[in-house]
Amino acid sequence: MTKLAELQTNFIHDCLSGALTADNTLMANDLNTQLISAQGLMGIYQSSAIANITNSLSLSYPVIEKLVGKGFFQVMCKPYIVKHWPTSGNMDDYGEYFSSFLAEFEQVRHLSYLEDVAQLEWRFHQSSLANDNSYFDWARLAEVASSETITFLLSPSVSIMSSTMPVDKIWLMNQVNAPENIELSLDGDGDSDIFIVLFRQGLKTEMMTVDESEFTFLQSIENGLNFETAIESAKAVDANIAIDHGLKKYIELGIISGFLI
Amino acid sequence: MQSIQGVGISLKHQHFQEFMNHKPDVPWLEIHTENFFSQASTSSKYLAKIRQDYPISAHCVGMSLGSAAINCPVREQHLHHIKSTVEWLQPGLISDHLSWSASQGGHYLPDLLPLPLTEEAFTIVANNIKQAQDILQRQILVENPSSYLTYVDSPMTEWQFLSSLAEETGCGLLLDINNIYVSAHNHHFDSLTYLNNIPLSAVKEIHLAGFSTEIVEGKELYIDTHGDRVCDDVWLLYEQAIKRFGALPTLIEWDTNIPDLAVLLEEKSKAEAIITKVASIEKSNLIANTVNGQS
Repeated sequence: MTKLAELQTNFIHDCLSGALTADNTLMANDLNTQLISAQGLMGIYQSSAIANITNSLSLSYPVIEKLVGKGFFQVMCKPYIVKHWPTSGNMDDYGEYFSSFLAEFEQVRHLSYLEDVAQLEWRFHQSSLANDNSYFDWARLAEVASSETITFLLSPSVSIMSSTMPVDKIWLMNQVNAPENIELSLDGDGDSDIFIVLFRQGLKTEMMTVDESEFTFLQSIENGLNFETAIESAKAVDANIAIDHGLKKYIELGIISGFLI
Repeated sequence: MQSIQGVGISLKHQHFQEFMNHKPDVPWLEIHTENFFSQASTSSKYLAKIRQDYPISAHCVGMSLGSAAINCPVREQHLHHIKSTVEWLQPGLISDHLSWSASQGGHYLPDLLPLPLTEEAFTIVANNIKQAQDILQRQILVENPSSYLTYVDSPMTEWQFLSSLAEETGCGLLLDINNIYVSAHNHHFDSLTYLNNIPLSAVKEIHLAGFSTEIVEGKELYIDTHGDRVCDDVWLLYEQAIKRFGALPTLIEWDTNIPDLAVLLEEKSKAEAIITKVASIEKSNLIANTVNGQS
Protein backbone atom coordinates (compact mmCIF):
# COMPACT_ATOMS: atom_id res chain seq x y z
CA MET A 1 0.00 0.00 0.00
CA THR A 2 1.37 3.46 -0.91
CA LYS A 3 2.03 6.08 1.76
CA LEU A 4 -1.06 8.12 0.79
CA ALA A 5 -3.28 5.03 0.57
CA GLU A 6 -2.19 4.06 4.09
CA LEU A 7 -2.87 7.58 5.39
CA GLN A 8 -6.36 7.53 3.87
CA THR A 9 -7.15 4.13 5.37
CA ASN A 10 -6.06 5.42 8.79
CA PHE A 11 -8.09 8.62 8.33
CA ILE A 12 -11.32 6.72 7.69
CA HIS A 13 -10.52 4.39 10.58
CA ASP A 14 -10.22 7.37 12.93
CA CYS A 15 -13.47 8.88 11.68
CA LEU A 16 -15.58 5.72 11.89
CA SER A 17 -14.12 3.61 14.69
CA GLY A 18 -15.84 5.31 17.59
CA ALA A 19 -14.33 7.35 20.45
CA LEU A 20 -10.91 8.87 19.66
CA THR A 21 -8.21 8.89 22.32
CA ALA A 22 -4.52 9.84 22.26
CA ASP A 23 -3.69 6.11 22.10
CA ASN A 24 -6.02 4.99 19.31
CA THR A 25 -5.75 7.95 16.90
CA LEU A 26 -3.90 6.42 13.94
CA MET A 27 -3.33 9.83 12.32
CA ALA A 28 -1.36 11.22 15.30
CA ASN A 29 2.05 11.22 13.59
CA ASP A 30 0.81 12.67 10.30
CA LEU A 31 -0.75 15.90 11.57
CA ASN A 32 0.54 19.28 12.67
CA THR A 33 -0.60 19.37 16.29
CA GLN A 34 1.08 22.50 17.69
CA LEU A 35 -2.29 24.20 18.34
CA ILE A 36 -4.82 21.37 18.49
CA SER A 37 -4.21 17.70 19.35
CA ALA A 38 -4.59 14.92 16.77
CA GLN A 39 -7.78 13.64 18.40
CA GLY A 40 -9.15 17.20 18.46
CA LEU A 41 -8.43 17.65 14.74
CA MET A 42 -9.71 14.22 13.76
CA GLY A 43 -12.72 14.81 16.00
CA ILE A 44 -13.80 17.68 13.70
CA TYR A 45 -13.83 15.35 10.70
CA GLN A 46 -15.38 12.53 12.73
CA SER A 47 -18.27 14.78 13.82
CA SER A 48 -18.78 16.02 10.28
CA ALA A 49 -18.73 12.50 8.79
CA ILE A 50 -21.10 11.10 11.42
CA ALA A 51 -23.44 14.09 10.92
CA ASN A 52 -23.43 13.65 7.11
CA ILE A 53 -24.14 9.93 7.34
CA THR A 54 -26.80 10.48 10.03
CA ASN A 55 -28.45 12.97 7.70
CA SER A 56 -28.63 10.29 5.00
CA LEU A 57 -30.26 7.89 7.48
CA SER A 58 -32.67 10.63 8.55
CA LEU A 59 -33.76 11.12 4.93
CA SER A 60 -34.42 7.40 4.54
CA TYR A 61 -36.01 6.85 7.98
CA PRO A 62 -38.04 9.99 8.85
CA VAL A 63 -40.75 8.04 10.73
CA ILE A 64 -38.22 6.20 12.89
CA GLU A 65 -36.61 9.57 13.66
CA LYS A 66 -40.01 10.97 14.63
CA LEU A 67 -40.88 7.95 16.77
CA VAL A 68 -37.68 7.91 18.82
CA GLY A 69 -37.03 11.69 18.71
CA LYS A 70 -34.35 13.57 16.77
CA GLY A 71 -31.82 13.54 19.62
CA PHE A 72 -32.07 9.83 20.31
CA PHE A 73 -32.07 9.07 16.57
CA GLN A 74 -28.66 10.73 16.35
CA VAL A 75 -27.43 8.74 19.36
CA MET A 76 -28.72 5.53 17.79
CA CYS A 77 -27.18 6.20 14.37
CA LYS A 78 -23.64 6.48 15.67
CA PRO A 79 -23.22 2.79 16.66
CA TYR A 80 -24.94 1.79 13.41
CA ILE A 81 -22.43 3.86 11.42
CA VAL A 82 -19.51 2.45 13.42
CA LYS A 83 -20.79 -1.06 12.61
CA HIS A 84 -21.70 -0.40 8.96
CA TRP A 85 -19.16 1.84 7.21
CA PRO A 86 -20.41 3.30 3.90
CA THR A 87 -19.05 1.54 0.82
CA SER A 88 -20.58 3.73 -1.88
CA GLY A 89 -20.45 7.37 -2.85
CA ASN A 90 -24.16 7.14 -3.57
CA MET A 91 -25.61 7.65 -0.09
CA ASP A 92 -29.04 6.54 -1.33
CA ASP A 93 -27.57 3.03 -1.03
CA TYR A 94 -26.73 3.45 2.65
CA GLY A 95 -28.90 2.21 5.52
CA GLU A 96 -30.04 -1.18 4.26
CA TYR A 97 -29.37 -2.95 7.57
CA PHE A 98 -30.97 -0.36 9.83
CA SER A 99 -34.11 -2.42 10.57
CA SER A 100 -32.17 -5.45 11.79
CA PHE A 101 -29.89 -3.14 13.78
CA LEU A 102 -32.95 -1.69 15.57
CA ALA A 103 -34.12 -5.20 16.44
CA GLU A 104 -30.82 -5.77 18.26
CA PHE A 105 -30.20 -2.29 19.71
CA GLU A 106 -30.69 -2.67 23.46
CA GLN A 107 -32.38 0.67 24.24
CA VAL A 108 -35.17 0.12 21.69
CA ARG A 109 -35.34 -3.69 21.50
CA HIS A 110 -38.58 -3.64 23.50
CA LEU A 111 -40.23 -1.49 20.80
CA SER A 112 -40.80 -4.50 18.61
CA TYR A 113 -42.64 -2.56 15.90
CA LEU A 114 -39.60 -0.39 15.06
CA GLU A 115 -37.91 -3.13 13.04
CA ASP A 116 -40.86 -3.48 10.66
CA VAL A 117 -41.51 0.27 10.47
CA ALA A 118 -37.85 0.69 9.44
CA GLN A 119 -38.23 -2.07 6.87
CA LEU A 120 -41.30 -0.31 5.47
CA GLU A 121 -39.41 2.99 5.27
CA TRP A 122 -36.47 1.36 3.48
CA ARG A 123 -38.92 -0.11 0.96
CA PHE A 124 -40.51 3.34 0.49
CA HIS A 125 -37.04 4.77 -0.08
CA GLN A 126 -36.13 2.10 -2.65
CA SER A 127 -39.49 2.45 -4.38
CA SER A 128 -39.04 6.22 -4.72
CA LEU A 129 -35.72 5.66 -6.53
CA ALA A 130 -36.78 2.76 -8.76
CA ASN A 131 -37.08 3.06 -12.53
CA ASP A 132 -40.42 4.07 -14.00
CA ASN A 133 -43.01 1.52 -15.05
CA SER A 134 -43.04 0.48 -18.65
CA TYR A 135 -46.26 0.72 -20.67
CA PHE A 136 -48.39 -2.43 -20.29
CA ASP A 137 -49.13 -4.05 -23.63
CA TRP A 138 -52.82 -4.95 -23.31
CA ALA A 139 -53.11 -5.73 -27.01
CA ARG A 140 -50.34 -8.31 -26.86
CA LEU A 141 -51.86 -9.89 -23.78
CA ALA A 142 -55.16 -10.28 -25.66
CA GLU A 143 -53.31 -12.17 -28.42
CA VAL A 144 -51.74 -14.73 -26.10
CA ALA A 145 -53.13 -18.22 -26.68
CA SER A 146 -54.64 -19.87 -23.62
CA SER A 147 -52.20 -22.76 -23.92
CA GLU A 148 -49.14 -20.55 -23.44
CA THR A 149 -47.46 -20.11 -20.09
CA ILE A 150 -47.46 -16.51 -18.95
CA THR A 151 -45.25 -15.06 -16.26
CA PHE A 152 -46.28 -11.59 -15.13
CA LEU A 153 -43.71 -9.00 -14.02
CA LEU A 154 -44.00 -6.53 -11.17
CA SER A 155 -43.05 -2.90 -11.79
CA PRO A 156 -39.56 -1.85 -10.60
CA SER A 157 -41.08 0.36 -7.89
CA VAL A 158 -43.22 -2.39 -6.36
CA SER A 159 -42.28 -3.76 -2.98
CA ILE A 160 -44.35 -6.13 -0.85
CA MET A 161 -44.03 -7.01 2.82
CA SER A 162 -46.03 -8.49 5.67
CA SER A 163 -45.92 -7.70 9.37
CA THR A 164 -47.52 -8.80 12.60
CA MET A 165 -47.58 -5.13 13.60
CA PRO A 166 -49.86 -2.39 12.20
CA VAL A 167 -46.89 -0.67 10.57
CA ASP A 168 -49.09 0.84 7.87
CA LYS A 169 -51.05 2.75 10.51
CA ILE A 170 -47.92 3.74 12.43
CA TRP A 171 -46.42 5.08 9.21
CA LEU A 172 -49.61 6.96 8.29
CA MET A 173 -49.95 8.53 11.76
CA ASN A 174 -46.48 10.00 11.40
CA GLN A 175 -47.04 11.75 8.09
CA VAL A 176 -47.76 15.44 7.63
CA ASN A 177 -51.57 15.93 7.62
CA ALA A 178 -52.10 12.40 8.96
CA PRO A 179 -55.75 11.35 9.36
CA GLU A 180 -56.94 11.84 12.95
CA ASN A 181 -59.19 8.81 13.24
CA ILE A 182 -56.61 6.01 13.01
CA GLU A 183 -57.12 3.34 15.70
CA LEU A 184 -53.99 1.55 16.72
CA SER A 185 -53.41 -1.66 18.69
CA LEU A 186 -49.87 -2.90 19.30
CA ASP A 187 -50.77 -6.37 20.65
CA GLY A 188 -49.03 -8.09 17.74
CA ASP A 189 -50.76 -11.39 18.55
CA GLY A 190 -50.30 -12.74 15.02
CA ASP A 191 -54.04 -12.90 14.27
CA SER A 192 -54.06 -9.59 12.49
CA ASP A 193 -51.09 -9.81 10.13
CA ILE A 194 -51.06 -7.05 7.59
CA PHE A 195 -49.95 -7.33 3.99
CA ILE A 196 -48.59 -4.25 2.26
CA VAL A 197 -47.93 -3.37 -1.37
CA LEU A 198 -45.91 -0.26 -2.22
CA PHE A 199 -45.98 1.06 -5.76
CA ARG A 200 -45.23 4.41 -7.38
CA GLN A 201 -47.73 6.45 -9.31
CA GLY A 202 -46.28 9.58 -10.89
CA LEU A 203 -44.16 11.34 -8.27
CA LYS A 204 -45.66 9.56 -5.29
CA THR A 205 -45.10 6.13 -3.74
CA GLU A 206 -48.48 4.72 -2.69
CA MET A 207 -49.15 2.17 0.06
CA MET A 208 -51.99 -0.33 -0.26
CA THR A 209 -52.98 -3.14 2.10
CA VAL A 210 -54.21 -6.39 0.57
CA ASP A 211 -55.51 -9.67 2.00
CA GLU A 212 -53.30 -12.72 2.44
CA SER A 213 -54.39 -14.44 -0.77
CA GLU A 214 -53.63 -11.33 -2.89
CA PHE A 215 -50.32 -10.99 -1.11
CA THR A 216 -49.49 -14.61 -1.87
CA PHE A 217 -50.39 -14.06 -5.53
CA LEU A 218 -48.13 -11.00 -5.80
CA GLN A 219 -45.36 -12.70 -3.84
CA SER A 220 -45.46 -15.61 -6.29
CA ILE A 221 -45.11 -13.18 -9.20
CA GLU A 222 -42.26 -11.45 -7.41
CA ASN A 223 -40.57 -14.84 -7.06
CA GLY A 224 -40.82 -15.40 -10.82
CA LEU A 225 -43.54 -18.08 -10.72
CA ASN A 226 -45.83 -18.38 -13.73
CA PHE A 227 -49.46 -17.24 -13.72
CA GLU A 228 -50.97 -20.71 -13.13
CA THR A 229 -48.69 -21.44 -10.19
CA ALA A 230 -49.34 -17.98 -8.71
CA ILE A 231 -53.10 -18.63 -8.89
CA GLU A 232 -52.68 -22.04 -7.23
CA SER A 233 -50.67 -20.47 -4.40
CA ALA A 234 -53.28 -17.77 -3.86
CA LYS A 235 -56.16 -20.28 -3.94
CA ALA A 236 -54.42 -22.38 -1.32
CA VAL A 237 -54.92 -19.40 0.99
CA ASP A 238 -58.41 -18.42 -0.21
CA ALA A 239 -60.22 -20.66 -2.69
CA ASN A 240 -62.62 -17.82 -3.56
CA ILE A 241 -60.02 -15.21 -4.60
CA ALA A 242 -61.21 -13.21 -7.63
CA ILE A 243 -58.04 -13.37 -9.70
CA ASP A 244 -59.49 -11.73 -12.84
CA HIS A 245 -60.60 -8.65 -10.90
CA GLY A 246 -57.29 -8.50 -9.01
CA LEU A 247 -55.15 -8.87 -12.12
CA LYS A 248 -56.99 -6.03 -13.90
CA LYS A 249 -56.59 -3.81 -10.83
CA TYR A 250 -52.85 -4.54 -10.51
CA ILE A 251 -52.26 -3.76 -14.17
CA GLU A 252 -54.29 -0.53 -14.05
CA LEU A 253 -52.45 0.61 -10.91
CA GLY A 254 -49.11 -0.12 -12.53
CA ILE A 255 -48.24 -2.83 -9.99
CA ILE A 256 -47.90 -5.36 -12.81
CA SER A 257 -46.18 -3.75 -15.77
CA GLY A 258 -45.35 -6.57 -18.14
CA PHE A 259 -45.28 -10.29 -18.86
CA LEU A 260 -43.14 -12.98 -20.41
CA ILE A 261 -44.34 -15.89 -22.53
CA MET B 1 -24.43 22.19 -23.54
CA GLN B 2 -25.87 25.21 -21.73
CA SER B 3 -24.04 28.50 -21.18
CA ILE B 4 -23.32 29.44 -17.55
CA GLN B 5 -22.99 33.20 -17.02
CA GLY B 6 -23.79 35.70 -14.28
CA VAL B 7 -24.73 34.88 -10.67
CA GLY B 8 -26.54 31.59 -10.09
CA ILE B 9 -27.79 29.89 -6.93
CA SER B 10 -27.90 26.36 -5.51
CA LEU B 11 -31.08 24.51 -6.42
CA LYS B 12 -32.54 22.91 -3.27
CA HIS B 13 -35.63 20.68 -3.14
CA GLN B 14 -37.29 23.18 -0.77
CA HIS B 15 -37.47 25.62 -3.70
CA PHE B 16 -38.55 23.23 -6.50
CA GLN B 17 -42.14 24.43 -6.49
CA GLU B 18 -41.15 28.12 -6.64
CA PHE B 19 -38.93 27.49 -9.64
CA MET B 20 -41.68 25.48 -11.32
CA ASN B 21 -44.49 27.95 -10.61
CA HIS B 22 -42.88 31.40 -10.55
CA LYS B 23 -39.68 31.01 -12.58
CA PRO B 24 -37.60 33.53 -10.58
CA ASP B 25 -35.03 35.55 -12.50
CA VAL B 26 -31.86 33.51 -12.01
CA PRO B 27 -29.45 32.95 -14.93
CA TRP B 28 -28.42 29.42 -13.92
CA LEU B 29 -28.69 26.84 -11.16
CA GLU B 30 -26.18 24.49 -9.61
CA ILE B 31 -27.12 21.03 -8.38
CA HIS B 32 -25.29 18.36 -6.41
CA THR B 33 -24.99 15.70 -9.07
CA GLU B 34 -25.15 12.89 -6.50
CA ASN B 35 -28.71 13.89 -5.53
CA PHE B 36 -29.92 13.04 -9.03
CA PHE B 37 -28.30 9.66 -9.70
CA SER B 38 -31.74 8.05 -9.97
CA GLN B 39 -33.41 9.68 -12.93
CA ALA B 40 -36.72 8.14 -11.85
CA SER B 41 -36.71 9.82 -8.44
CA THR B 42 -39.13 12.58 -7.53
CA SER B 43 -36.27 15.11 -7.33
CA SER B 44 -35.05 14.17 -10.80
CA LYS B 45 -38.53 14.58 -12.23
CA TYR B 46 -38.69 18.11 -10.83
CA LEU B 47 -35.21 18.83 -12.18
CA ALA B 48 -36.20 17.54 -15.61
CA LYS B 49 -38.86 20.24 -15.73
CA ILE B 50 -36.80 23.02 -14.12
CA ARG B 51 -33.86 22.49 -16.48
CA GLN B 52 -36.09 23.37 -19.41
CA ASP B 53 -35.97 26.98 -18.16
CA TYR B 54 -32.55 27.20 -16.46
CA PRO B 55 -29.02 26.20 -17.47
CA ILE B 56 -27.57 23.73 -14.98
CA SER B 57 -24.09 23.37 -13.51
CA ALA B 58 -23.31 19.89 -12.12
CA HIS B 59 -21.34 20.13 -8.87
CA CYS B 60 -20.08 16.77 -7.63
CA VAL B 61 -18.93 15.82 -4.14
CA GLY B 62 -17.91 12.20 -4.60
CA MET B 63 -15.42 11.78 -7.46
CA SER B 64 -12.77 11.44 -4.74
CA LEU B 65 -10.11 12.95 -6.99
CA GLY B 66 -7.49 12.63 -4.26
CA SER B 67 -8.07 8.96 -3.58
CA ALA B 68 -4.91 6.84 -3.70
CA ALA B 69 -6.90 3.62 -4.04
CA ILE B 70 -5.86 1.71 -7.16
CA ASN B 71 -8.58 0.05 -9.28
CA CYS B 72 -11.08 1.34 -6.74
CA PRO B 73 -14.58 0.08 -7.64
CA VAL B 74 -16.18 2.68 -5.34
CA ARG B 75 -14.62 5.51 -7.40
CA GLU B 76 -15.16 3.90 -10.79
CA GLN B 77 -18.81 3.10 -10.07
CA HIS B 78 -19.32 6.66 -8.86
CA LEU B 79 -17.73 8.12 -12.01
CA HIS B 80 -20.06 6.08 -14.19
CA HIS B 81 -23.08 7.27 -12.20
CA ILE B 82 -21.87 10.84 -12.81
CA LYS B 83 -21.36 10.10 -16.50
CA SER B 84 -24.94 8.92 -16.99
CA THR B 85 -26.31 11.89 -15.00
CA VAL B 86 -24.18 14.30 -17.04
CA GLU B 87 -25.34 12.69 -20.30
CA TRP B 88 -28.91 13.26 -19.16
CA LEU B 89 -28.47 16.83 -17.87
CA GLN B 90 -25.93 18.19 -20.37
CA PRO B 91 -24.72 20.70 -17.76
CA GLY B 92 -22.79 23.84 -18.69
CA LEU B 93 -20.08 23.09 -16.13
CA ILE B 94 -18.98 20.01 -14.14
CA SER B 95 -16.96 20.38 -10.97
CA ASP B 96 -15.65 18.52 -7.93
CA HIS B 97 -13.11 19.16 -5.18
CA LEU B 98 -9.43 18.85 -4.38
CA SER B 99 -10.22 16.24 -1.74
CA TRP B 100 -10.78 12.52 -1.28
CA SER B 101 -13.55 10.31 0.13
CA ALA B 102 -12.78 6.68 -0.84
CA SER B 103 -10.04 4.55 0.70
CA GLN B 104 -8.08 1.55 -0.57
CA GLY B 105 -10.24 -0.69 1.62
CA GLY B 106 -13.37 0.20 -0.36
CA HIS B 107 -14.80 2.45 2.32
CA TYR B 108 -16.28 5.83 1.61
CA LEU B 109 -16.73 8.87 3.81
CA PRO B 110 -19.30 11.40 2.55
CA ASP B 111 -17.09 14.40 3.23
CA LEU B 112 -14.41 16.47 1.46
CA LEU B 113 -11.31 15.13 3.20
CA PRO B 114 -7.99 17.01 3.06
CA LEU B 115 -4.92 15.86 1.15
CA PRO B 116 -1.27 16.22 2.09
CA LEU B 117 0.10 18.42 -0.71
CA THR B 118 3.01 16.21 -1.78
CA GLU B 119 4.48 15.06 -5.10
CA GLU B 120 2.87 11.65 -4.54
CA ALA B 121 -0.56 13.23 -4.00
CA PHE B 122 -0.07 15.49 -7.04
CA THR B 123 0.58 12.52 -9.35
CA ILE B 124 -2.45 10.68 -7.98
CA VAL B 125 -4.84 13.65 -8.26
CA ALA B 126 -3.58 14.51 -11.76
CA ASN B 127 -4.15 10.91 -12.92
CA ASN B 128 -7.61 10.84 -11.36
CA ILE B 129 -8.58 14.14 -13.00
CA LYS B 130 -7.37 12.84 -16.38
CA GLN B 131 -9.38 9.65 -15.84
CA ALA B 132 -12.52 11.66 -14.96
CA GLN B 133 -12.08 13.93 -17.99
CA ASP B 134 -11.55 10.86 -20.22
CA ILE B 135 -14.71 9.18 -18.94
CA LEU B 136 -16.82 12.34 -19.07
CA GLN B 137 -15.23 13.44 -22.35
CA ARG B 138 -14.93 17.05 -21.22
CA GLN B 139 -13.13 19.42 -18.91
CA ILE B 140 -13.94 19.38 -15.21
CA LEU B 141 -13.36 22.20 -12.72
CA VAL B 142 -11.55 21.47 -9.46
CA GLU B 143 -12.54 23.44 -6.35
CA ASN B 144 -10.36 24.42 -3.42
CA PRO B 145 -11.87 22.88 -0.26
CA SER B 146 -12.01 24.26 3.29
CA SER B 147 -9.77 22.40 5.69
CA TYR B 148 -9.29 22.18 9.43
CA LEU B 149 -5.95 20.39 9.65
CA THR B 150 -2.56 20.33 7.95
CA TYR B 151 -0.13 17.48 7.50
CA VAL B 152 3.46 17.29 8.72
CA ASP B 153 4.56 16.25 5.23
CA SER B 154 2.89 18.77 2.90
CA PRO B 155 5.56 20.83 1.14
CA MET B 156 3.38 22.59 -1.46
CA THR B 157 0.90 25.42 -0.93
CA GLU B 158 -2.66 24.81 -2.06
CA TRP B 159 -2.41 27.52 -4.73
CA GLN B 160 0.78 25.95 -6.14
CA PHE B 161 -0.88 22.54 -6.13
CA LEU B 162 -4.04 23.74 -7.90
CA SER B 163 -2.18 25.88 -10.44
CA SER B 164 0.08 22.96 -11.37
CA LEU B 165 -2.93 20.64 -11.65
CA ALA B 166 -4.61 23.00 -14.11
CA GLU B 167 -1.43 23.13 -16.18
CA GLU B 168 -0.81 19.37 -16.06
CA THR B 169 -4.36 18.12 -16.73
CA GLY B 170 -6.12 20.95 -18.55
CA CYS B 171 -8.78 21.07 -15.85
CA GLY B 172 -10.29 24.41 -14.91
CA LEU B 173 -10.44 25.79 -11.38
CA LEU B 174 -13.48 26.64 -9.32
CA LEU B 175 -12.41 29.16 -6.70
CA ASP B 176 -14.50 29.08 -3.55
CA ILE B 177 -13.80 32.48 -2.00
CA ASN B 178 -15.33 31.44 1.32
CA ASN B 179 -13.13 28.34 1.44
CA ILE B 180 -10.02 30.47 0.86
CA TYR B 181 -11.12 32.73 3.72
CA VAL B 182 -11.93 29.81 6.06
CA SER B 183 -8.68 27.94 5.36
CA ALA B 184 -6.63 31.16 5.57
CA HIS B 185 -8.01 31.74 9.07
CA ASN B 186 -7.52 28.12 10.16
CA HIS B 187 -3.99 27.78 8.76
CA HIS B 188 -2.74 31.36 9.06
CA PHE B 189 -2.03 32.33 5.47
CA ASP B 190 -2.99 35.45 3.54
CA SER B 191 -6.13 35.17 1.38
CA LEU B 192 -4.90 37.75 -1.14
CA THR B 193 -1.60 35.91 -1.61
CA TYR B 194 -3.69 32.84 -2.46
CA LEU B 195 -5.82 34.77 -5.01
CA ASN B 196 -2.86 36.51 -6.59
CA ASN B 197 -1.01 33.25 -7.21
CA ILE B 198 -3.80 31.54 -9.12
CA PRO B 199 -3.30 31.81 -12.91
CA LEU B 200 -5.89 34.06 -14.54
CA SER B 201 -6.86 31.74 -17.36
CA ALA B 202 -7.49 28.68 -15.18
CA VAL B 203 -10.44 29.99 -13.15
CA LYS B 204 -13.85 29.29 -14.68
CA GLU B 205 -16.27 29.67 -11.76
CA ILE B 206 -16.50 31.21 -8.30
CA HIS B 207 -18.41 30.00 -5.21
CA LEU B 208 -19.64 32.13 -2.32
CA ALA B 209 -21.10 30.73 0.91
CA GLY B 210 -21.38 31.23 4.65
CA PHE B 211 -19.49 29.51 7.48
CA SER B 212 -19.77 29.00 11.24
CA THR B 213 -17.20 29.06 14.05
CA GLU B 214 -16.26 26.33 16.50
CA ILE B 215 -13.94 26.36 19.50
CA VAL B 216 -11.67 23.30 19.58
CA GLU B 217 -9.30 22.98 22.55
CA GLY B 218 -9.56 26.75 23.10
CA LYS B 219 -8.80 27.65 19.47
CA GLU B 220 -11.38 29.22 17.19
CA LEU B 221 -11.79 27.42 13.87
CA TYR B 222 -13.96 28.48 10.95
CA ILE B 223 -16.13 25.63 9.70
CA ASP B 224 -17.47 25.61 6.15
CA THR B 225 -21.18 24.91 6.70
CA HIS B 226 -22.85 26.55 3.68
CA GLY B 227 -25.62 27.44 6.11
CA ASP B 228 -25.48 31.22 6.40
CA ARG B 229 -25.15 34.46 4.48
CA VAL B 230 -21.78 35.40 2.96
CA CYS B 231 -19.80 37.43 5.53
CA ASP B 232 -18.53 40.98 4.89
CA ASP B 233 -14.86 39.95 4.64
CA VAL B 234 -15.71 37.36 2.01
CA TRP B 235 -17.64 39.96 0.00
CA LEU B 236 -14.48 42.15 0.06
CA LEU B 237 -12.36 39.22 -1.06
CA TYR B 238 -14.88 38.47 -3.80
CA GLU B 239 -14.50 42.01 -5.09
CA GLN B 240 -10.75 41.45 -5.31
CA ALA B 241 -11.35 38.17 -7.14
CA ILE B 242 -13.66 39.84 -9.70
CA LYS B 243 -11.03 42.57 -10.23
CA ARG B 244 -8.38 39.91 -10.86
CA PHE B 245 -10.31 37.24 -12.78
CA GLY B 246 -13.14 39.25 -14.35
CA ALA B 247 -16.90 38.70 -14.13
CA LEU B 248 -16.81 34.91 -13.85
CA PRO B 249 -19.93 32.80 -13.28
CA THR B 250 -20.56 33.02 -9.54
CA LEU B 251 -22.65 30.75 -7.34
CA ILE B 252 -24.44 31.58 -4.10
CA GLU B 253 -24.01 28.19 -2.42
CA TRP B 254 -26.33 27.14 0.41
CA ASP B 255 -26.63 23.52 1.63
CA THR B 256 -27.76 23.54 5.28
CA ASN B 257 -30.42 25.51 7.20
CA ILE B 258 -32.00 26.27 3.84
CA PRO B 259 -33.73 29.68 4.03
CA ASP B 260 -36.52 31.15 1.92
CA LEU B 261 -35.59 31.55 -1.72
CA ALA B 262 -35.76 35.32 -1.22
CA VAL B 263 -32.62 35.16 0.96
CA LEU B 264 -30.63 33.44 -1.78
CA LEU B 265 -31.91 35.99 -4.27
CA GLU B 266 -30.77 38.84 -1.98
CA GLU B 267 -27.28 37.34 -1.81
CA LYS B 268 -27.34 36.96 -5.59
CA SER B 269 -28.16 40.68 -5.94
CA LYS B 270 -25.21 41.59 -3.69
CA ALA B 271 -22.84 39.60 -5.91
CA GLU B 272 -24.31 41.21 -9.03
CA ALA B 273 -23.84 44.67 -7.48
CA ILE B 274 -20.15 43.92 -6.89
CA ILE B 275 -19.68 42.73 -10.49
CA THR B 276 -21.38 45.93 -11.72
CA LYS B 277 -19.28 48.09 -9.38
CA VAL B 278 -15.98 46.52 -10.53
CA ALA B 279 -16.99 46.86 -14.18
CA SER B 280 -17.91 50.51 -13.61
CA ILE B 281 -14.56 51.30 -11.93
CA GLU B 282 -12.67 49.52 -14.71
CA LYS B 283 -14.59 51.50 -17.33
CA SER B 284 -13.84 54.80 -15.54
CA ASN B 285 -10.16 53.87 -15.26
CA LEU B 286 -10.03 52.93 -18.92
CA ILE B 287 -11.56 56.27 -19.96
CA ALA B 288 -9.25 58.18 -17.61
CA ASN B 289 -6.19 56.35 -18.96
CA THR B 290 -7.27 56.99 -22.53
CA VAL B 291 -7.82 60.69 -21.85
CA ASN B 292 -4.51 60.98 -20.01
CA GLY B 293 -2.75 59.17 -22.83
CA GLN B 294 -4.07 61.70 -25.35
CA SER B 295 -3.00 64.74 -23.37
